[in-house]
Amino acid sequence: MKEVNKDILKDAASRLLFDMKDEEYDTLLNEFGIITKQLKLMDEIKGLNDVEPMSFPYVDESFSLLREDEPVKEDEVDKEEMLQNAKVYRDGQVKLPKVVN
Amino acid sequence: MNYLDLTIKEMHEALVNKKIKVSDLVKKAIERCKNDKFNALEATNYEAALNEAYELDKEEVPCDNFLFGIPYIAKDNFSTRGIESTGGSNILNGYIPSFDATVIKILKENKAIMIAKSTLDELAMGGSGKSGHKGIQFNPYDETKNHLIGGSSSGSAVATAASYVPFSLGSDTGDSIRKPASYAGLVGFKPTYGLISRFGLFPFSVSLDHVGYFTRSVDDAAILFDYLNKYDKRDYTSSLKGRNKVYPLKEEKHHKIAVLKEVIDSIKDEMILSSFNNLIEKLKNEGNEVEYVSIDPSILKALYPAYIIISSAEATSNNANLDGIKFGNRKEGNSYQEVMFNTRNEGFSELIKRRFVLGSYALMSENQEEVYLKAKKVRRVVVDKVNEIFNSYDCFIAPASPTVAHSLNEVSDDLDDTYLIADNYLGIGNFGGFPSITIPLGVKENLPFGLSITGKIFDDSKVFEIAKECENLTNLKNLSTVTLKEKEAK
Repeated sequence: MKEVNKDILKDAASRLLFDMKDEEYDTLLNEFGIITKQLKLMDEIKGLNDVEPMSFPYVDESFSLLREDEPVKEDEVDKEEMLQNAKVYRDGQVKLPKVVN
Repeated sequence: MNYLDLTIKEMHEALVNKKIKVSDLVKKAIERCKNDKFNALEATNYEAALNEAYELDKEEVPCDNFLFGIPYIAKDNFSTRGIESTGGSNILNGYIPSFDATVIKILKENKAIMIAKSTLDELAMGGSGKSGHKGIQFNPYDETKNHLIGGSSSGSAVATAASYVPFSLGSDTGDSIRKPASYAGLVGFKPTYGLISRFGLFPFSVSLDHVGYFTRSVDDAAILFDYLNKYDKRDYTSSLKGRNKVYPLKEEKHHKIAVLKEVIDSIKDEMILSSFNNLIEKLKNEGNEVEYVSIDPSILKALYPAYIIISSAEATSNNANLDGIKFGNRKEGNSYQEVMFNTRNEGFSELIKRRFVLGSYALMSENQEEVYLKAKKVRRVVVDKVNEIFNSYDCFIAPASPTVAHSLNEVSDDLDDTYLIADNYLGIGNFGGFPSITIPLGVKENLPFGLSITGKIFDDSKVFEIAKECENLTNLKNLSTVTLKEKEAK
């Protein structure tokens, strides 16, 4: 397990595209003190390494059914209504700062 | 007594027998919402609700549609077409979905009337009802506003407990319906994973998220289940199985009920324990077989750390779409990366950022094995153990919370057994996708506390049946701040 320090936390935050104030990193570092102790509780379970990780509550063949990639007519939404949620748009497209000047 | 203080079933009978009109119910619901003192509401839908009510007044009330004209409230993490949906986060201020979540659509088709959206912990991540962008939600059982209602479905719990509406929608990732239901004296239900569609619910942790609801009776919860339990091709985890009707509930007795010994051992509140023991005696007298079963405490103590890792890790990717570009509260920048960064940096609160950082930390390649995969192994051990119990029993029960609602400044010890086990074992229901319900168990100094019943996957009907039997024994059907006051006055 990677040792936790402020730089690691800053790295984790930047991967998620945000930052925090210095004192907020301090709070988080303190919180990690408790979380690390809680995580150690997982090591107390006997035979944990012998089991497979579980990703979903149960295995259901219907979850993995491959479906035809067809648009559902009743789900059609109004393009204008959707675009209004993008604050800046023009000619039916969302506008972003120029990539190439 | 006002008709709005009845259960859905009774309200429906009053509508059918023309004792009341839909518009009378909706007007009263709006009046109560407008007088809300507990910070339960986000966007409101009063005008449209009232117009719809007047339209329904003109129709004959169908005897076979329990939801006709019934007012309700939805947690603000359900997409509602044309109505602002923020998930309690500033990053989604002003976001107006262009479609309805499947559950909203079903309720609309059946003529239930949405009055408002309710407050929640930011993006449903949190259990306190303190972290949403509208501030704290207070427990309506304490008019001095010194107690919390719990979260994350905090506003929905307030709305049903204080009788603004007879039911409200919520979501449950760790216990976000069932824990506040305990503090609010409500029936709070989450189904088997895969039975109620999550299409249109803002995802927090897809392998753990469930759609559910609060009602004031077990019958009402069963009635709603029959409406909402539909296969939905839009939800890739919608199961093809388990589509049986449950209402009217069978009144079979002689159930085999397990009591989780370690949960009971970690509860210190004597009144909660004695109420629970009384109920067990009554269940036995009714011919049920009730036995204590043990789960290795090391497994139970690992529940919370495993939960926080899995949910936070999934939350980081489930919320990656919140970048302010396609929708949301966009903040400008000199490049699209800066737009995303500024939007996320300003839009998320500190608490949510801390959860995301924990998730990101767990997913770092150096930590995957030691943190993330280990948590998922714990999940497997827990679910296997509980399924083993279900080989011999219909359900397991225990108090839904070790205490009544917390006061505003109460601090818990995050490493003691009461916290790690009794305060967090409801997450078992999410780990294994088990149907699970909270019903009222008692009231201590005016604050309610609940009982939790959890059953086998796809055996939701059995959970309802046992819950109904318990409800008959506790005699706490249709508990609300209004009915409790009336009871006390008598």
